[in-house]
Amino acid sequence: MAAKKLRRAQLSQELCERLSRYQITTCQDFLCLSLLELMKVTGQSYYEVQKLLGKVSRACAPKMQTAYEMKLRKSVNPSSVFLSTTLHCLDRVLHGGVPCGSLTEITSPPGCGKTQFCIMMSVLATLPVTMGGLDGAVIYIDTESAFSAERLIEIAANRFPTYFDSDEKLFCMTRSIHLYRELTCCSVLKRIMSLEEEIISKKVKLIIIDSVASVVRKEFDTKLQGNLAERSNFLARGASVLKYLAEEFSIPV
Amino acid sequence: MQREVGTLPLAPALRARLAAAGFQTAQELLDTGPCGLSKEIGISREEALEALQVVRQECHGDAARTAGGSAAARKCTALELLEEEQTQGFIITFCSALDNILGGGVQLTKITEICGAPGVGKTQLCMQLAVDVQIPECFGGVAGEAVFIDTEGSFMVDRVVDIAAACVQHCHLIAEAQQEEDHRKALETFSLENILSHIYYFRCRDYVELLAQVYLLPEFLSEHSKVRLVVIDGIAFPFRHDFEDLSLRTRLLNGLAQQLIIIANDHKAAVVLTNQMTTRIGQSHSTLVPALGESWGHAATVRLIFHWDNCQRLATLYKSPSQKESTVPYHITSHGFRDVQPPAVTHSAEGTEMNPRKRPRTEEEKH
Repeated sequence: MAAKKLRRAQLSQELCERLSRYQITTCQDFLCLSLLELMKVTGQSYYEVQKLLGKVSRACAPKMQTAYEMKLRKSVNPSSVFLSTTLHCLDRVLHGGVPCGSLTEITSPPGCGKTQFCIMMSVLATLPVTMGGLDGAVIYIDTESAFSAERLIEIAANRFPTYFDSDEKLFCMTRSIHLYRELTCCSVLKRIMSLEEEIISKKVKLIIIDSVASVVRKEFDTKLQGNLAERSNFLARGASVLKYLAEEFSIPV
Repeated sequence: MQREVGTLPLAPALRARLAAAGFQTAQELLDTGPCGLSKEIGISREEALEALQVVRQECHGDAARTAGGSAAARKCTALELLEEEQTQGFIITFCSALDNILGGGVQLTKITEICGAPGVGKTQLCMQLAVDVQIPECFGGVAGEAVFIDTEGSFMVDRVVDIAAACVQHCHLIAEAQQEEDHRKALETFSLENILSHIYYFRCRDYVELLAQVYLLPEFLSEHSKVRLVVIDGIAFPFRHDFEDLSLRTRLLNGLAQQLIIIANDHKAAVVLTNQMTTRIGQSHSTLVPALGESWGHAATVRLIFHWDNCQRLATLYKSPSQKESTVPYHITSHGFRDVQPPAVTHSAEGTEMNPRKRPRTEEEKH
């Protein structure tokens, strides 16, 4: 939205050309200037500039929805609101399971079972909706090389023996879990940025990142001066993209 | 009428030409007329007419201001202000201790800032206020609507449903106890669907969308004149990452603050912002301070800081023009924001009353 070109904001052609001479081509550049600067750059009067601001703002402002509309939308298909973890106590505490459309973070000291939990959630996501799953593919971004495909099959076979009775079904499930091994911060970020198209093409219903902290701690030593800011920068950027993906596609992350 | 040409809000090129032609005051422009003006400076007659209309509007505004009769004049005596403030409503928070230290609740026409570490209850309070602003006047509320601008994506509709249901229940109990006619009538309109449909939700993904939305807010508020609360949940989030130019950030934030003050005053609305905490590393120790820097601290009129103290949530009134600094504990229950239960009544206040959605807080998680 911010990078929207002014041309598409319904400003006149000559105005856009004039602004591009000052290197103002996107809505972001336009809105960051003060009123006086805008007057100087566009050569228009104060009232005209305010009208222009209104036009550009309307081009990038978000749409309004009332809380009631949001609730109606959610109640239309309640099954897509949570992904049940099949641990009844946990589901009760979480009000139904892992929520779709927002980020969930799992933290613990090493060895408690985070990766195991993630592997189990990937199996659950591939199950059909009637069995409490999401009937979709899973994107698993692994930074610690801790994912074991054998363990995946073991969990699937033992947990749902009636469903995974044939090898065919197991292969089908494993085919829909896409594993990406990323070992540096840059590659993790690049991978997250490229996820949008993959989600649409592969019909992904769950994104797991295991784990965010390990790759960040390896690369950024917080004792050095500039690294803290860079690290928070990286984390915040990744987080905002993930939030956008979660909300846009209504999937758990 | 004696206003200098250079101060008029005309296009810069036009101003330059007027100065080159020797015009000095607005009166000279008006005397010349559009045809004469267009011949002297070399602009078309339509442009000259437009310029003269702008000049006339400005001078008319000036004259009205100096005569003191215009409604735009902003001076009034302190007595009038006192009367206005006393009749002004507050938005209650359902936690009476917090309402007491705020002097009745969140005040209209003022900017209130809520700072706190993640997970301490800022969004919960915002959702509670969005419901409380709609309480009808006979129950002590403001009977207004709410605008919720969300930058972090932490608005959960189900949670608002819970809070609203509890609020409606509370009002029903009061109405039953008091048995008055207008209570019953008000309750007919104060239902779950109505409450939810009067919360206007905007999801801003980055700071440009936030800026655009705040520019468009005055228009929105004139269309929906019953709005009495504007919540911006997470004003720090879009400005904290990806901003190389800190001076630009300060300028944008100051501009935002100015616009919000104007909105709060013009539409008699309360503006509530939530801010994050950041660590200030001092000589020997580091402290948690509100994010966005010192200059942002001047933007809010009232500042509340939420923090933890061994599994108990506390709210501190950090900055207020009329109330003194104090700290009170509060609770977040499945019904929303509430007082801490007095220890004599229930001992299990900590465990069972905790909102099932919130993760339990442990010592190790403080960072």
